[in-house]
Amino acid sequence: MVLTMDNTYTSVIEALIFSSDEPISEMEIIRVIKGIDGEEIELTSDDIQNSVEELNKKYESNNNSFKIIKIANGYSFATSESNAKYVGYLSSEKTKRRLSQAALETLAIIAYKQPVTKPELEQIRGVNSDYILNTLLEKNLITITGRAETIGRPLLYGTTIEFLKYFGLYNLSDLPKPREIEEIMKDEDFIEQKNKIMMNLIEDNIENELKVSESNNDETE
Amino acid sequence: MYKIKLDQFEGPLDLLLFFIKRDELNIYDIPISRITKEFLEYVNLIKLMDLEVAGDFILMASTLMHIKVRMLLPREIDEQGEEIDPRADLIRALLEYKKYKEVAEDLTFFESHQRKLSYRGNYSEDAAQAPPEYDVLLKNISIYDLAKAFKKAIEGIKDVPVHEIKKINISIEEMIIYILDRLKQMSELHFLSLVHGMKEKIRVVLTFIAILELVKMQRIGIKESTTFNDFVIYGVNNG
Repeated sequence: MVLTMDNTYTSVIEALIFSSDEPISEMEIIRVIKGIDGEEIELTSDDIQNSVEELNKKYESNNNSFKIIKIANGYSFATSESNAKYVGYLSSEKTKRRLSQAALETLAIIAYKQPVTKPELEQIRGVNSDYILNTLLEKNLITITGRAETIGRPLLYGTTIEFLKYFGLYNLSDLPKPREIEEIMKDEDFIEQKNKIMMNLIEDNIENELKVSESNNDETE
Repeated sequence: MYKIKLDQFEGPLDLLLFFIKRDELNIYDIPISRITKEFLEYVNLIKLMDLEVAGDFILMASTLMHIKVRMLLPREIDEQGEEIDPRADLIRALLEYKKYKEVAEDLTFFESHQRKLSYRGNYSEDAAQAPPEYDVLLKNISIYDLAKAFKKAIEGIKDVPVHEIKKINISIEEMIIYILDRLKQMSELHFLSLVHGMKEKIRVVLTFIAILELVKMQRIGIKESTTFNDFVIYGVNNG
């Protein structure tokens, strides 16, 4: 009996992704399969993508609690969003604090401008960024990629695989495309709406914080 | 006065963008004197509270005042003969900053979504993590790591070789005499019984050399022993 390729390797691909703690790349999957079954096997990235899609459809129709996602240059199993609070309860990693606005802003600049030096970064942000750079380095979201050839040979910063994982990106081209300045100006209304949503969220947070700090103040007074 | 929470702004550019948005100002035609006035009020506020952050804000305040002054003077002309708007650099910086601020907002959504997913190996990675408040001081280290390291350090001390030089007053000649004495009492002597009770390696070595020496001198002979890993020494009477 001749099995079609999809039938043969979908199960293998599932096993490989399942057994890997870290996202496993298409290259790696192809390497393993060719290593076992011979170089003449025809297996492309597209075949793997199709298999993964097929698997995800199967999980969805079976109402499974997990799926395969594309992240950090590879594939990885992840639990579905609907179970987030239960799974998160066990894991302190998820209860960790979110990144601050300053951190996100800095990451955005580094992600697009990498490799970028501290002065370039500070020029855009308009504030000293020593502390935030150290925090991001510590969290392994950015790394030092080298030194610029300009005067003083300042350090260059770039994003890491950890950065891709943190934001659920497959690679850097998955980043939201920053709008050109002209574009930003054109649809001011759109931004206004978006900002309103954001500001509401932020204001809620601020209110909560104020309440907390007020109650703290009451206690100290 | 409008009360502003300090942490709300990531920097002077952020604050300016806030003023522009709040008062629905045209970013290409910023009323410099009005915004400078507001900005200075804010700077005076933070100067009282947080000097470290204030530096960047004061720099911006002086830039604003500089622009304000230049606005009053006749416009400078560039190479193409066009008037230079003193606000041009500021506007460019504001828009550039705004561009990344927007991306940061997108990243916030990604972050929120990503926090709802858990991956395989999630818990094992987690176990090594310290409570969040110690994040800065204890990076991925647990009490077990410390205990293991300490144990290793203690064991390591024993492993360090100690070189002590002890002079053992013994020579091959003395050993030769000793062996011959023993052979006078017994005609045959097992090597292992000869060295039995010798604490220092050097004594055993010297005994062995003495035996070889005696064989060479033809004073003793050696032969196979009935017991394993041993040999028998016997005296030779040659005079």
